[in-house]
Amino acid sequence: MKFIAVIRQVPDGESRLKIAGGKVDLSGVTMILDQMDEWAVEEVIRLQEKHGGESVVVALGPERTEEAIRTALAMGADRAVHLVADDYLDPISQAEALAETLRAEAPTLVISGGQQADWDSQALGAATAEALGWPVVSWTTQIELEGQTHAKARHDLDEGAELVRVALPAVFTTQQGLNEPRYPTLPGIMKAKRKELKKLPLSISSRVEVLEQTIQERSRLNKMIDGKDPVAAASELVRLLHQEAKVI
Amino acid sequence: MILVVLEHDTQRLRKGALEAISRARQLSALGPVSGLVIGENTQMVAQEAAQYLPVVYAAEVGGYTAEKWAEAAYAAAQKSGARVVIATGGRQSRTWTPRLAYKMKAGLMEDTLETSTDGSSVGGTRYSFLNRVTERQRAALPVVLTAKPNTTPLAEPHGSGTVESLRVDAPAGVEVLERVLEQKKGVSLTEATVVVTGGRGLGSPEAFAGVEELARALGAAVGATRAAVDAGWRPYGEQVGQTGKTVQPSLYIALAVSGAVQHQSGMNKSKYIVAVNKDAEAPIFKIADYGIVGDVHQVLPALIEAVKKLKD
Repeated sequence: MKFIAVIRQVPDGESRLKIAGGKVDLSGVTMILDQMDEWAVEEVIRLQEKHGGESVVVALGPERTEEAIRTALAMGADRAVHLVADDYLDPISQAEALAETLRAEAPTLVISGGQQADWDSQALGAATAEALGWPVVSWTTQIELEGQTHAKARHDLDEGAELVRVALPAVFTTQQGLNEPRYPTLPGIMKAKRKELKKLPLSISSRVEVLEQTIQERSRLNKMIDGKDPVAAASELVRLLHQEAKVI
Repeated sequence: MILVVLEHDTQRLRKGALEAISRARQLSALGPVSGLVIGENTQMVAQEAAQYLPVVYAAEVGGYTAEKWAEAAYAAAQKSGARVVIATGGRQSRTWTPRLAYKMKAGLMEDTLETSTDGSSVGGTRYSFLNRVTERQRAALPVVLTAKPNTTPLAEPHGSGTVESLRVDAPAGVEVLERVLEQKKGVSLTEATVVVTGGRGLGSPEAFAGVEELARALGAAVGATRAAVDAGWRPYGEQVGQTGKTVQPSLYIALAVSGAVQHQSGMNKSKYIVAVNKDAEAPIFKIADYGIVGDVHQVLPALIEAVKKLKD
């Protein structure tokens, strides 16, 4: 069996973003393996540990993505394929690019992050499934294989959750609760340096063009009320919400 | 031609459907608008939709899977010749719309705040980078887009249209074994105009009784942080943040919430933010309009009293 995690590298949510020339400027920003993709990496490693076979990472992004790939390899994935693309790619074009590699790999299943922390897209898993002609289960919190042909999975809906049986191969996207990712160990990090990483250049253009990015932080009033006298503080807050903000 | 896929609860159209119709009408330079109702009891819901649109397709395919929804939307888009398909943003629609966009070889715009057209392409704005950046996008036709809920005025009825049944060969692949729907108590989180959220700092699940009481007094929905949900104090459906729900109410009250970036990405577009926290350095205060530095166990009861007094 072969289990594939699709990953990307994104800015750390804690880091400060800036704009230069009408676009987000990521120079100097700490970049990490997308936390929702980290769940995908952990899950393929667990599946491989339990069922045998191979855990593979397929990454999409610029050269710097290699750091995130090494993290995934240090966690325990066996090898990686890196589709090198420098610029923004809409999710449909991303899926088109990925599908070729994934089809050739012929995995048992593919897992990718539920939402990308840079482009805030939730579409990659589903679009990839469509490109491959496979079913998709999104916002997955549990995956259990039933032999080689099916899996049982629990996943979130708009309101509630459901348990499904899905024919393999299939694509899953991650949700909080799927697992608790392990930290790379020092031996793991050393071993990762020698693991196979195949790079494939991509030349595909985006269907969607990003024209301009801005950071519009709402200016906040930042009015602080001393809470030493809770009753006075509460009534002052209610007065402000009623008379000044007019929201209650 | 434009196709709107209409959200419903098997009895009535949802508010999001009326927003999506408004979005479609805003793009009317691209041609007439038709509607599509997918799922169960679609004939009845399509009759309601026909008060808004000249043609409404009804695809009776049973319960939800992304594959069925995408297939139905693709069939309706082909039949009507639609070059733009619009749906309301949500977890499910953001799963089946990518499938549809791939089938149509379309540009996909997710969770748009507003949309416009110059006749040959569609422009849209949306948030990115965990809700911190606003970006303008553009894609040539065909385009599939989702509209973020609570961004567009509700459509008014307009004439009377016809309902047409649409046969769809539903693909297999996913079999639903069991569905657990969220218990709906009070106001829905994403539609609420006031949200009261409790965090780990409340100290116990019992302390949420006060959060619920304040929410009741304000006609608000209850939210929870990931820490409170992970601790098993609150159901996942109440979680606000990156892996939970995104809310944009007029008033967001954060009680004993420290305000991690992942939480902020689910609420930072609220009109007014109130924070109560004993730690004056908590990040939530940086984005708060009104803050009380104090013990939530003392401030919350006082706040409930003060709100009740105001409402009397």
